[in-house]
Amino acid sequence: MVKIVVFACNWCSYAASDLAGVSRMQYSPDVRIIRVMCSGMVNPAWVLYAFKKGADGVVIAGCHPGDCHYMVGNYYAQKRYILMRELLKFIGFEEERLKLLWASAAEGKLFADEMTKFAEELEKLGKQNKLSEVKE
Amino acid sequence: MNREMEEKLKDVCKRVVKEVDALIAYKRKKTEPREVLTVIRSEDEVDSISLSPLSVNNPAKLLMELLKTEKKVAVVAKGCDAKAIRQLIIEGKIDRDRVYIIGVSCPGVVDYRKFIKKIDDLSDVERVELIDDKIVVNGKDEIPFSEVIFENCLYCSNPTPVIYDELIGEPREGRVDFSDIDEFERMDREKRWEYWAKEFERCIRCHACRNSCPLCYCTECIVDPTNLAISPMTPAEEKATYPKILGKTISISDNVLYHLVRVLHHAGRCAGCGECERACPMGIPLRKLERKLEKVVIEEFGYDVTKEEIPFLSRLEVMR
Repeated sequence: MVKIVVFACNWCSYAASDLAGVSRMQYSPDVRIIRVMCSGMVNPAWVLYAFKKGADGVVIAGCHPGDCHYMVGNYYAQKRYILMRELLKFIGFEEERLKLLWASAAEGKLFADEMTKFAEELEKLGKQNKLSEVKE
Repeated sequence: MNREMEEKLKDVCKRVVKEVDALIAYKRKKTEPREVLTVIRSEDEVDSISLSPLSVNNPAKLLMELLKTEKKVAVVAKGCDAKAIRQLIIEGKIDRDRVYIIGVSCPGVVDYRKFIKKIDDLSDVERVELIDDKIVVNGKDEIPFSEVIFENCLYCSNPTPVIYDELIGEPREGRVDFSDIDEFERMDREKRWEYWAKEFERCIRCHACRNSCPLCYCTECIVDPTNLAISPMTPAEEKATYPKILGKTISISDNVLYHLVRVLHHAGRCAGCGECERACPMGIPLRKLERKLEKVVIEEFGYDVTKEEIPFLSRLEVMR
């Protein structure tokens, strides 16, 4: 059982997860969704905080490039994601645990599939114990 | 940085100090062979100015402070200092018209921690000069520069200031060299984690790296306690929901969080002065993290810190 924290943007990805729910698609029960107004407001510190609190994987989900409700928010999210991924890789943390996902409001299927796939990948990686403060 | 350059700097300062309200330069400390930043306001003080390989500190932060009260300030700036000042100018923190930059072409500075190990009696040191490839102490004792150079200066990309009104010394060629980072990246993932876990474990979170950094000018920082008022009437639930991302403990996860967030805020801005590393009482190689991001910014985004007019984090990048 892994723990996944998803920061889903209010306008696309959260709607996608909603669609996956109302369409009764089966996907990993390990996913915890936090709704944010835009993927561009996801502070890198939140991601690290999630890891600190024992998350095995973190997903930043937003609208497709060009579709952002606030015009450019997801470009900033992508930029931060790249910097963050490179840094995590550099200090020897498994950078695969951080994922960026574009999902539009109509892509409930894609959201469900990606989550299942991500959960499987994390299952293979095992428990995240480098930054986690949670003792089990 | 020898006597000749120092004399030339003094001449320039004597002329400039009359035109400005204050001048920031280096001055020797009385008790040890260190140099500190000093603010000069009159011509007769100019003789106390010094310029040597021990003139290490970055004046950008002091400059920003001074400009709050003074109209026009002159500053003696090495390559990295000018880079920091330029960054502050494009971020709108410093007004270019109110600054007079006396650029100094810099061959690299001395690491004081390495330097004191080479010297027997520090109170004897009168003057330190760089002549060719040797540090000459008191005009006679010679130390090879490569043994005491500040490690960060080996990879300096801008030894000549990027902006200046007046330049002292011959312009030097910088180089873009990430060989140390590449070498580190070739290491095993677990080895890398072992290395950084050991380094971050030593961090005592004094926040000196943040305080000394010329680009860390936020009035409210993620590490500061939030100033939300708590009164006897504040319900427990409200207190519990006050933002507290970064704990006060010095556990490894908190330290990683602090350092990564600090470095992320400097992506595409870092001037590379190494002030953070110098300020660190535990000797953590903080510049390695900054240099990693410098590499990413250049290689993945094609952003040149010394040329672009729009700050990196506010530039709109469209990537696929």
